[in-house]
Amino acid sequence: MSLSLFFHIVDLETKKLMSYRVDFWITMVVNLVVNLVILWALWTAIFAESGSEIIGGWDLPGILSYGVMVFLTGRIVRGGDLQMTVATDIYEGALSRFLLYPRHYAFTKYAQQVGNVVPDLFQSVLMGLVALPLLGLSTTTPITPLTVAMSIPTILVAHLLFFLMGLIPQYIAFWADNVWSLSVMVRFVTMLLGGAMLPLSLFPDSVQQILHWLPFAYLFEFPTLVILGKVDFSQWLTGIGTCLLWCLALGVLSIPVWRRGDLRYTGVGI
Amino acid sequence: MMRYARLYLQFLKFSFSRALEYRMDFWFRIVMDCLFYAVELVFFTILYQHTNMIGGWDYDQVLIFVSGYLVIDAIHMTVFSNNMWWLPIYVNKGDLDYYIVRPVSSLFFLSLRDFAANSFLNLLIAGGILAWSILRYPGELGTENLIWFLFLMLNGSFIFYVLQMLFQIPVFWTHTNRGLLTAFFSANKLMERPDKIYSKWTRRILMTVFPALLVIALPARVLFDGPDPLLITHILGVTTIAFLGMRAFWNLGLRSYSSASS
Repeated sequence: MSLSLFFHIVDLETKKLMSYRVDFWITMVVNLVVNLVILWALWTAIFAESGSEIIGGWDLPGILSYGVMVFLTGRIVRGGDLQMTVATDIYEGALSRFLLYPRHYAFTKYAQQVGNVVPDLFQSVLMGLVALPLLGLSTTTPITPLTVAMSIPTILVAHLLFFLMGLIPQYIAFWADNVWSLSVMVRFVTMLLGGAMLPLSLFPDSVQQILHWLPFAYLFEFPTLVILGKVDFSQWLTGIGTCLLWCLALGVLSIPVWRRGDLRYTGVGI
Repeated sequence: MMRYARLYLQFLKFSFSRALEYRMDFWFRIVMDCLFYAVELVFFTILYQHTNMIGGWDYDQVLIFVSGYLVIDAIHMTVFSNNMWWLPIYVNKGDLDYYIVRPVSSLFFLSLRDFAANSFLNLLIAGGILAWSILRYPGELGTENLIWFLFLMLNGSFIFYVLQMLFQIPVFWTHTNRGLLTAFFSANKLMERPDKIYSKWTRRILMTVFPALLVIALPARVLFDGPDPLLITHILGVTTIAFLGMRAFWNLGLRSYSSASS
């Protein structure tokens, strides 16, 4: 797929989303306020009532920074809510139009997904500028220009991983009428096991060992640890490499599902 | 009243027969909600590995609080959720015409018409989790406390519905209410945490302006601390005001409705 075509689709999707500006600002303000209130209230209560200064390797400012950064990076990784469009295209027969395109359907959808990220990226940067000075930067989680630079490719790869993780459940729409609940299930599991709700260091050791072998940590926790300066250069390279391997594995896995589904597709909608 | 009861019975019959048409979706949804319950319970279980109390509640109390929230969520998903989903579509397409000309309250019809039969099974599962969490509770929970708790939980489901409607009704004036709804679902997280973790002013706001704590946190307080008449009066008073406000807002919305593409 040529880069110019890819960025043309990205541009179209961004413009589409930005046309609803009131929605854009309401979502941003409420999300930010609610998440900051809960984050601050919950963790100050836990630290006060437990009497501990360190929980799961984090002090209070550190875990607050983690909470803010995992929320902001998570918004970019999830990249809007395009996941259901694949199933909708199949269900309504709109997929036929994409099959006539000179590029593979998944590539077109990924370009659209990237277009959805641009407003989220803009919102996350704005929210970060507001939230981080309010919470105060932790001394145990130093955010530097280098960690920010390292986090950019990490988030990009995590975004691709999230897209591919959601693709196979969407392809199930070739066989089932409604797969909305499957997508929501993927979201629940990835949020918990990916570290979006809690740092994975708070999980019991045995669970942490299992999670080490699964792709979820690379979605939310790993990019957050990178930006907070908790990952050194060699760990970062290993992490990016592992994440790319998971992308490759999921991409390869999606091919036979697509081929079988494509054979079943009648193009008239269900 | 009997006319409305008979009408609701028809809604139930129709919803069950329709839900069984899409069997795979029927089971997917049940698994999805079970996963949601598991995630909520695991979240607090992990937190309690590192502390004994959160917001003045121990693990056994939080289990009842979370289970209560799951029941309220299941009631909402079963009774109201599908109807909330369709409302903006009806308004934008002009399909509301068919409902406002009927000889019954349009608010009743549009809020309760679609009963989610698959979520009803989840309601039974959530109810089971609540019963389990109450039965395993090591302390003494008085019968009077329990009755008030169950009553205030039903009241909490109703507030949940009223709050969502307040975020839905602006669709009469705006082209889309997607942003408002996203904001509502985001703000819902406030009700999923114990009330005592919030500061004094945040609690006041969450008990009046956006009464999220009335949904389950305060009913759970009544269960553990006993029925405080002042608190119960506050909960029921705010519920009444919120409902009357929502109904007035609905009527205002209907007056602005001008059929298709309004």
